[in-house]
Amino acid sequence: MQFKVIKNLKKIIFLLLLIFPNKLYASFFEDLTSQIVENPKRLSYGVSVTDVNKDGNFDFVVTGFGYLNLALSYKDGKLINIVNENIFSDEFRRTIGVAACDIDKDGYEEIYFLNTDTYSGTKKYSDRLIDFDGNKFLDLFEVEKNKKDLNLTAGRSVACVDRKGDGTYGVYVANYGGPTRFYEYSDDVIVDKSVQLNLAKVTGGRAVVAGHIISNKMDIFAANERGANFLYKNNNGKFLDVAYEFRVEDVLQNGRGTALSDIYYRGRLDILNGNWGGFHRAYVLKDKIFKDIAKPTFDVPTRIRTIISADLDNDGYDEVFMNNIGEPNKLFKILDNGVLEQLPLDIGLEPDGYGTGAAVADIDNDGILELLVSHGESRDQPLSLYKAKVDPNHKYLRVKPLNKYGAPARGATVTLISNLRKHSKTIDAGSGYLCQMEPVAHYGIRKNEKNIRVQIKWTNGKTKTISVKDFNKTITLRQK
Amino acid sequence: MKLLLNFLKLIPIFLLTLTLSNISISAEKNYYKDLVTDWSRIFPDNNRNAAGPKFFKYIIDKDITYNDFVEYNKLYCAVSGSLIDPNSTAEFVNISEEKTGKQICGNYYRCCVPCSCDLMKYTTVQKMKHKFKDGLKEFYVLTINNPCTKKDFPERVTKKYFCDGSNISKDQVYNLDGRMVIGLFHNTKPCNDNDIKIVKAHPVTGEYCDIRNNTPLEKLQAGMGDIFIKLAR
Repeated sequence: MQFKVIKNLKKIIFLLLLIFPNKLYASFFEDLTSQIVENPKRLSYGVSVTDVNKDGNFDFVVTGFGYLNLALSYKDGKLINIVNENIFSDEFRRTIGVAACDIDKDGYEEIYFLNTDTYSGTKKYSDRLIDFDGNKFLDLFEVEKNKKDLNLTAGRSVACVDRKGDGTYGVYVANYGGPTRFYEYSDDVIVDKSVQLNLAKVTGGRAVVAGHIISNKMDIFAANERGANFLYKNNNGKFLDVAYEFRVEDVLQNGRGTALSDIYYRGRLDILNGNWGGFHRAYVLKDKIFKDIAKPTFDVPTRIRTIISADLDNDGYDEVFMNNIGEPNKLFKILDNGVLEQLPLDIGLEPDGYGTGAAVADIDNDGILELLVSHGESRDQPLSLYKAKVDPNHKYLRVKPLNKYGAPARGATVTLISNLRKHSKTIDAGSGYLCQMEPVAHYGIRKNEKNIRVQIKWTNGKTKTISVKDFNKTITLRQK
Repeated sequence: MKLLLNFLKLIPIFLLTLTLSNISISAEKNYYKDLVTDWSRIFPDNNRNAAGPKFFKYIIDKDITYNDFVEYNKLYCAVSGSLIDPNSTAEFVNISEEKTGKQICGNYYRCCVPCSCDLMKYTTVQKMKHKFKDGLKEFYVLTINNPCTKKDFPERVTKKYFCDGSNISKDQVYNLDGRMVIGLFHNTKPCNDNDIKIVKAHPVTGEYCDIRNNTPLEKLQAGMGDIFIKLAR
């Protein structure tokens, strides 16, 4: 009789293990926030990743809304702010959006700070476009010849676009309650080309991403509020809005965090698009339209801000981090066939967190991505830093494409091809929401994965493929 | 001990049932999401004023079951064309049957209270048959006169949504015996005396609608319902 009871108890325990596996998972993240030196409560927004001080390492650029803009550099196990120049730090202009790219083709990424001192319409202070001469920072918009076309409209996100594919980056500025701007050098002067490129629409601009979405050049997807989204197809360097034709206009929803992601591991970039209090979308291209394949719990409305798609735990499958403001964050894993499996979070859940931005980068060069989360808006809170607890057997491969000027080839697409997947990643031109990730394609290597090749599609659409034999390294590829 | 053993045997079945029920909930269709997603397909120029008929046509053209059809039709206001929160409750109303003049009672999902009044005054119901994925079904629909012959067609309504010249556009909306279908009438039955009493005793369908439906049109100031009246009168 006793034996029978034990036997039945075993059955029950087995069933409980099947039914409630989430409770048995170890924490996905470890909390590294203590690595941030001087981390007071503040109102932060967008986060970008670029090499701020030309030392060959990436830094987190964190915007401040009435607080200092920061450049957090990794040194001796700590993240330390390395910039204290007013032109960069500038706590008075209230920066929210940030993106970096090499606008003047010198190999250094200029940093576009989108300032917004009002919710919508006309603002007092213009944006900043920060360059670095090796000694000091300067604002290119303060150079007399560049003052004609300053952006004096409230805005949100910015993204870099090499629209012609020749290494000439412009900056798409998603304005709110005024026309979109597109800044680019022309005859050595920074001008707004939005009108001639068919981009000067008025909307409630929120998020913007750019990359190989529907053409072989850089296209733009802008998730808007109180109006239709834009999907701009690159048409020989000019743009044509095809959002309605591709069924991503989503008129009734209010766009927020957006990221390009290869949801089906099929060698193309599709779109993850969060909506404020609305249905979050997982758009995959099929038969020339984007079909939303998102299901519960991924699509359930939340107070979404940033969305990041990245392989955080080096298992060869991307995670999707959903940063919510004033409610718990969510984490998903993109399994095969577009299945979005929710992972339990405890560390990184931030149930009382007022998340406003986030970015990933391997800031300490150990082959595992760090996730920096900023907070603010209606509550001042410090930054958070997380890293996935990674199985030491997991291997990784990082691919860092540089364009012919030696700058990060933002907007290029890297595809890892193996016996198990064809996995594309964008070299981030601007994404998340107000943010921009490191300009590196970071792959974990799957179990039993072999015959690995890496293909890069440059911003001009041309491709190059290399074989990969060794892992746990960063491959730098330079465009010829 | 035997009792304990039997109890232990039941626990796995209970847990399995619980799990499967959760799976079935998460796999349910999200009808509201479908309408939100396809909103600009239904209203290409973004004007949904009084455009319940567009919703109805969009839904009935889908390859769906009768249950899907019913669920979709709970999510828009046939009078105003507005989407309705998925958790809304219906209003119990009575409406004349077009063919017989008899009162048919049923549930109406509306966006705001004037719509129930306008519905009761300006629409009639008709029986309609349609073949769904799961077979042929008969149900009552809400209909209005052909508005396309009107010289004073309301300006705030997109005429091309409904009309092909002076005819009801078969491509755009559903034409039932020369009348335009604006929505589904839910849970219908012939009204009895008690049903009518319930309708009249309700603060909206009774007292409020009495006032609204006896107010001259030029004095009505309650939003979309007025536009609908101009379309349906």
